[in-house]
Amino acid sequence: MKVAYWPGCVSRGFTPELHGSMAKIAPLLDIELVALDRASCCGAGVIAEHNPELADTLNARTFALAQQAEGTALMMNICSTCQGAQSECQERLDASAEYRAKINETLAADGLTYETGLSNKNFLWLLVEEMGLDELRSRVVRPLTDLRVGPFYGCYIVRPVTRLGIDDAHPRDAYLGQVIEALGGTVTDYAGAHKCCGFPIITMNKDASLKQAGRHLGDAVDAGADCLVTPCPLCHLNLDLQQPLAERVVGRDLGMPVLHLPQLVGLALGVSPSELGLQRHVVKPTSVIDWTTSVVGEVGAPSAGG
Amino acid sequence: MAEFTLRLRRYDPESGDAAYWEEHTIDLEPHRSVLEGILQAKNRDDGSIGIRCSCRAAICGSCGVRINGRPDLACHTHLDHAKKHSSDGVIEVEPMGNMPVIKDLIVDMEAVHWKKIRRVTPWLIPKQPVPEREYVVPREAMVDVTQSMACIQCGACVSDCLSMEVDPEFIGPAALAKAYRFVGDPRDDQHFERLQDLAEDPHGIYDCTHCFQCIDACPKGVAPMSQIMRLRRLAGNDFAIEDRNNGERHEAAFVSLVKQYGLLNEAELLPRSYGGDTPLAKFKPSAAAELTSSLPAIAKALLRRKVTPAAVFKPHKLAPADRAEVKRIYETVEGRDERVEFNIYISGRDEDLT
Amino acid sequence: MPAHDVLIIGAGLAGQRAALAAAETGASVAIMSKVHPVRSHSVAAAGGINAAIAIDDDWTEHAYDTVKGSDFLGDQDAIEIMCSEAPGEAMHLEHIGVTFHRNDKGELDLRAFGGASKKRTAYVADITGQAILHVLYEQLMRHHETVDSFEEWFCTSLIRDDDGHCAGAVARDIRSGTIEVFNAKSVILANGGNGQCYKPTTNALICTGDGIAQAYRAGAPIMDMEMVQYHPTTLAENGFLITEGARGEGAHLLNSEGRRFMEDYAPNKMELASRDVVSRAEQTEINEGRGVGPDGQGIYLDITVVPRKRVLEALREIVNIGRDFAGTDITREPIMIRPGQHYIMGGVRTDVDGQTPIPGLYAAGEVACVSVHGGNRLGANSLLDTLIFGRRSGEHAARRGKELAMPKAPATRASEDAAQIKQIIDRPHDGRRVSEIKDELGATMNEFVAVYRDEDGLKKAGEIVGRLKEQAAEAYVDDRGTVFNQDVLGALEVGYMIDCAEMTIVSAIDRKESRGAQFRLDYPDRHDEEWLKHINVTRSADGEPEISYSPVTITQWEPEVRKY
Repeated sequence: MKVAYWPGCVSRGFTPELHGSMAKIAPLLDIELVALDRASCCGAGVIAEHNPELADTLNARTFALAQQAEGTALMMNICSTCQGAQSECQERLDASAEYRAKINETLAADGLTYETGLSNKNFLWLLVEEMGLDELRSRVVRPLTDLRVGPFYGCYIVRPVTRLGIDDAHPRDAYLGQVIEALGGTVTDYAGAHKCCGFPIITMNKDASLKQAGRHLGDAVDAGADCLVTPCPLCHLNLDLQQPLAERVVGRDLGMPVLHLPQLVGLALGVSPSELGLQRHVVKPTSVIDWTTSVVGEVGAPSAGG
Repeated sequence: MAEFTLRLRRYDPESGDAAYWEEHTIDLEPHRSVLEGILQAKNRDDGSIGIRCSCRAAICGSCGVRINGRPDLACHTHLDHAKKHSSDGVIEVEPMGNMPVIKDLIVDMEAVHWKKIRRVTPWLIPKQPVPEREYVVPREAMVDVTQSMACIQCGACVSDCLSMEVDPEFIGPAALAKAYRFVGDPRDDQHFERLQDLAEDPHGIYDCTHCFQCIDACPKGVAPMSQIMRLRRLAGNDFAIEDRNNGERHEAAFVSLVKQYGLLNEAELLPRSYGGDTPLAKFKPSAAAELTSSLPAIAKALLRRKVTPAAVFKPHKLAPADRAEVKRIYETVEGRDERVEFNIYISGRDEDLT
Repeated sequence: MPAHDVLIIGAGLAGQRAALAAAETGASVAIMSKVHPVRSHSVAAAGGINAAIAIDDDWTEHAYDTVKGSDFLGDQDAIEIMCSEAPGEAMHLEHIGVTFHRNDKGELDLRAFGGASKKRTAYVADITGQAILHVLYEQLMRHHETVDSFEEWFCTSLIRDDDGHCAGAVARDIRSGTIEVFNAKSVILANGGNGQCYKPTTNALICTGDGIAQAYRAGAPIMDMEMVQYHPTTLAENGFLITEGARGEGAHLLNSEGRRFMEDYAPNKMELASRDVVSRAEQTEINEGRGVGPDGQGIYLDITVVPRKRVLEALREIVNIGRDFAGTDITREPIMIRPGQHYIMGGVRTDVDGQTPIPGLYAAGEVACVSVHGGNRLGANSLLDTLIFGRRSGEHAARRGKELAMPKAPATRASEDAAQIKQIIDRPHDGRRVSEIKDELGATMNEFVAVYRDEDGLKKAGEIVGRLKEQAAEAYVDDRGTVFNQDVLGALEVGYMIDCAEMTIVSAIDRKESRGAQFRLDYPDRHDEEWLKHINVTRSADGEPEISYSPVTITQWEPEVRKY
């Protein structure tokens, strides 16, 4: 499958292992990534907060570029925040022909036009809805047997449900669990799966922000999770990068590894932890989890720590 | 008729016992409400079940509860829907969160919700002179504030506000939506004062974590978070209120970094959020203090090569031609005489108008 | 013991307006309600508020429409006051922040409503009552230092001193179970109607006639109780209200033949005839076999003829109600409705300042009968009634208080009411459940005391209600606690409801004519010579309802044949 691929900013900035692991596993899933190199930041809700028309225009430009990418079935992102921020803009753009025309007027100078009907899906949605869980399961070479994984979605990909197309036919707020199971792992239920990591207010109310991160991590520890998995690099920043600070705020040791979704998929597809950049995390999953025993499969586990 | 089982969270403050779960079987048509189910149990089996309720039609706001872990009005949730979304076929009903429980499904709204409502000076301070007849104001402005006016003060958004969960002092979604009802009202005289108050409060508009919980929780389509974002927009942009919480600076820095690079440059965002929207921000004392306190995380990130010095000092950016396009978009949109705000609540959707 | 110049019981529109008006004069004010003020049933008023504010309108036209709507039973002096003060009140609401819908020029927009000769209904989408109630509550919060608020306190009885003056009330703090005597120079009842006597009803569960029954038990005359409004458009299944605003915006009523049958009943006003006329027309269609739905008990309300954009903007709430409570997208298909109990025109008799014949006792809003609605209330006149007479009561009571010493209220009254509550809690479980009695009462009233009535049915209802009264005296409750014991309050409420139902039935039997909402199959015509008068019910020494009459005040509009 060929997709117009929007990696987002953070996956190429503070969480380079996310973009890197996605690039690693795409061929193993027969996904051809046509990177939208020319597209700009989605605004993460902040630009929309500042000026909605500006966010709508920037994202309309991204959508238009995706629509120009030849042979692609849809646009794919690897960031919950991009998904949510772009869906919000797309909702406005699709609501009114008049408004869309106004936005397209701005894009016209560069020869771009956004037309309604673009499908923009996070990698998670693509796995379940385009590839299918059976297909994913069939590609697993090293099932995550006995690995207890706590899902952490990120707000932008689970709310609001109507905008994000979450309904009985598309339980997108349950997909992470389905994927974890398809990969052979065990889902750990804990209170924080659909809650907020706190990242958006890290510069405004650091204490509250880290309390959120710390609380969810602590809940996952208490529920016996080996690690968390998230489709959102911003959540990753607060849950992993900030985890040492979160530990101080909530006053307990956490040591909870947080994996990006492509990393978890990559492990099950047989990619080595080091190729997936696991050693780059602040809470090093390679030192916390012994992948040689946690991940038992048909192929030999690669040496931990890479 | 169909049979449903309700699992109600009971709590009797006079018993000295902890809260407990109690199951009741009821018979009602599937499209009847959870409230009707609870009332059947109350009327038929146990009159001591405590729940506030009155109108039964989602307008009085009395019966806010959590159903299968999610906040809603009991009268606004169908039994079949609730059963379908339960974990084990039993409809679980418990009191709302973030507020103390008084008895069974009844929470102390006064201790939390109404205190916060009163915090935002919740009455119109009319522009002077008051006209003899009505204030002549744009039709759209009144439709706009009517969205916030549609709030029935049920507390569902407060119940599940994720910021309030960690910061009980957060003014919260309902009260801030109420605040927008005045800030968005052209008849009010104190827009600036209200905004400054809410921006400067460490638990004010910038304490919202943008998690969308309140949008999904609200049974009346008030979209409190959207109103909070508009308060921020008005405070930061229109009134240029530089708050002590870095809210305005964070937004300004974000927006200008994307204008400059086309992509977000996180390494610059942090110092600029603290020190102001300039490349020299990181050397300002306010920024330095914050950054020092973040040092353990940064040091570890550098150590792991998660964040490379290159990423910090040589940020990723779009190709020059694309940067120019982005800049031109900024200039076109920000150059407008008046900001364009397409609001689906006011304008509706094309598909709805045919 | 709390003591105030003015004690207001009930915190809907009438109560809050009274509190604000009294507080403005500097009087000490307490407002008490068994629910939080914004839960009051005023919140459910949808369509709007009438006021002759259009350039081409005049309050006398509004007054005439109201007199005609009342089927000439309304007191014209009171109607003149209400309609002439309406524009000022509407502007007051606008100035304190009600978000009234604007036209393209930015001025107040007005919509058409039933029985009105002009567009004169100001509105906030179809949540007008909610918008006004919440704005009044904003003002109450502004006045928090001058108005003492007792939220979730349940009034159990009124107190009269040795001279017969009202001296306060007894109330129970629902949260703690504490019972206290509230001493006051004046008490304003503003605690609504008794729609819960009917099932189904558009009214909230709290509308149990507490104030009407308490005033009755205290000796006040209760007037026009036979006049019970059935709203033409309530959801066929559960009785929820579909605002008259829908017809105001142009919606049609259709029978099973798909015909706008109102042309047979009210060829000029069609769907916008007065409510009694439309409800009767619908019931006739249903009775004659032209109803819709599986049991033929419904009528179609077709809102699809209103432009969709307009519906989504101006009738948002009923779009939600249709979707959530009837599974119908009202913008795409007709919705099944039928007449349903909605409003009590009658209530505690008052003068134009809200004073009842008991010195110091006032009433305003649905609990009261001024009488501005007479035999039938016009849509969008109830909000107006609550506000005008709420304000006038508050002002008058505050003024009155300035010249008076605090009357004596015996503290022992608290223990009397506490003993009664304890007695209910201690009842053995061998009677009936309160909820059963309530259900039977509702079904009985809806069967025999509805749109069409006759002597046989009314008498039968009287017998059933008499039996229910005896059973209610022994009905048991489950909750033995003090904190939020809603169970025991429900037992008190059912007693109030039965008193109200009893008064409605005796009045309906007594009025041997058809006028406004009272249509007697056995007396199908209006008889002005004999029945152009109000029926008053007072409680006799042995606790039975006693009937007397009072004249209708006519100022400028002599009764005439009523046609729409």
